Amino acid sequence: MAIDIVRSRKYSLTVSTPVMPASGTVGFGDRYRDLLDFEKLGAFVTNAATIEPWRPARGTRIIPLDAGVLVHTGLPNPGLAKVIKQYRRAWANMPIPVILHLLGTSARQLKRALPLIDEAQEIAAVELGISDDSDAADAVSLVAAASQMEKPLLARLPFYECQQLALPLADAGADALVLTAAPRGTARDPHSGRLVSGRVYGPLIKPMILRMVGRLRRQLPEELPIIASGGIHSPQDARDYLEAGAVAVQVDTATWAQPKMLERIARDLGGWVATRQKDALPDEWNPEMTHTEVIQRRAT
Amino acid sequence: MKETQAYIERIMRVNRGHQRLALAVDHSLSSMLAGQAMLVRRIDKDYEAEHWDPYLRELWFPVEIQASNIVIVERPARTHYLPGQLFSIIGPVGKPYRFRQKLRNILLIAYNTTPAALLLMVPPLLAKQVSITLVLMGSAKQYESNHLPEEVEVLQADDNLTWPDMVMTLGWADQVFVLVGQGDEAGYFSDIMQLMRERHSDIPANYVFGVVERDLPCGVGACHACVLNLRGAQKLQCTDGPAFDLTELRLN
Repeated sequence: MAIDIVRSRKYSLTVSTPVMPASGTVGFGDRYRDLLDFEKLGAFVTNAATIEPWRPARGTRIIPLDAGVLVHTGLPNPGLAKVIKQYRRAWANMPIPVILHLLGTSARQLKRALPLIDEAQEIAAVELGISDDSDAADAVSLVAAASQMEKPLLARLPFYECQQLALPLADAGADALVLTAAPRGTARDPHSGRLVSGRVYGPLIKPMILRMVGRLRRQLPEELPIIASGGIHSPQDARDYLEAGAVAVQVDTATWAQPKMLERIARDLGGWVATRQKDALPDEWNPEMTHTEVIQRRAT
Repeated sequence: MKETQAYIERIMRVNRGHQRLALAVDHSLSSMLAGQAMLVRRIDKDYEAEHWDPYLRELWFPVEIQASNIVIVERPARTHYLPGQLFSIIGPVGKPYRFRQKLRNILLIAYNTTPAALLLMVPPLLAKQVSITLVLMGSAKQYESNHLPEEVEVLQADDNLTWPDMVMTLGWADQVFVLVGQGDEAGYFSDIMQLMRERHSDIPANYVFGVVERDLPCGVGACHACVLNLRGAQKLQCTDGPAFDLTELRLN
């Protein structure tokens, strides 16, 4: 099965299964190798790289929530040039396309970084993270600048502004839209008693983003692919997004709680075999899953 | 590191506040050393759907490892467990503690947390005739220690963070491990370093280690939520920790 997850322009980005990890959840490519079989996934999306180095956030970075978590890491990374240098060997050995998640703060800064990305053959595409604080004009100029590179460009939209930004960013040159970044929220740190802001993850955000995906699918040009991301914790969650019009999905923090879930979703959507729990003994694929029975076998 | 399953073979109530769970684990976990931990998630075999509360895996430090792949962990008594309960485990997480070769006296400090993350080192160190002093500070004073081996000297610090024979225990210690609770780790470590500096004109490298036990989302170094700033480098609690030389750790 081959799925093109960007619109047909100069470049294509083909994946064998429409499932990939969301940026920030599985690292830059040298982690999770013991726990995940990357070959089962459609693509690998890296942690965020910024043009200049970013330091980790100070204070509390993780607040457990009811059935979820608030995360504020500060997106620490050594800067784009060092990220490419440090991880390009790992990317070269990756059996699936590597999508670099890039955060640009200005179009001018971004333009200077594009040759580095174009030169790195290991990077198949770029996912540009649009900051929650960007206004429409800033976001459009960032996408327009990034679309000058010689690789497919995915734009990941902020949760609260995605309705307003989707069409302008598509017009500015995005080859696909990723809907959406996890919404921002605020929660009280039980240890320090302070209020902390960060991104909210968990199954509860899926209904909100699912609605957004369905709504934007009807409004956006048909040829513009949507990759859905947010709150996917089961194969059914992923199928719901595909039904709403997404061409592929990104699984976020479910991987932290249950790493094999990512593979399980990929298997379910990947044209191999869909199964459901039947009995009581673990199988080799999915330790927490008991005996399984085939419920659907898709043509490959 | 791998993902495996474990089940509770036995539950032992050790005092009013804590219980110990004997977990039957995969072979790969029975060779864990002091400092290494497991990321644990309960599995409900009775339900087909996944349950996502609690969401993140819990960080469990073994307090004892017995033959036949039995790992003992210490959990609060208020949490209800049942024999036969299943868990998904990612581990081992982290690096073992590094001890000095000629270690004779070790000082362990638990500050605003239970000392569970320090207890796996106790049996092997006692076997090597190392004297162990455990100081409980802040809320750690509520920890009942009567189930610990008699050879471990347990002291309670007062509200000024001083304890009986403090000058002697600090002077004699060849190595110090300070475990702090979540929250204001930088402040807690600063308190301890202040105590050390008042008694040592020069604190050598690899002498006083800070042990961090923050919640770990991924445990494999992917999410970067546990990055710590050390002099000249950034390290991860999950893959490089949990113990860091306090003279290297940047506390602000």
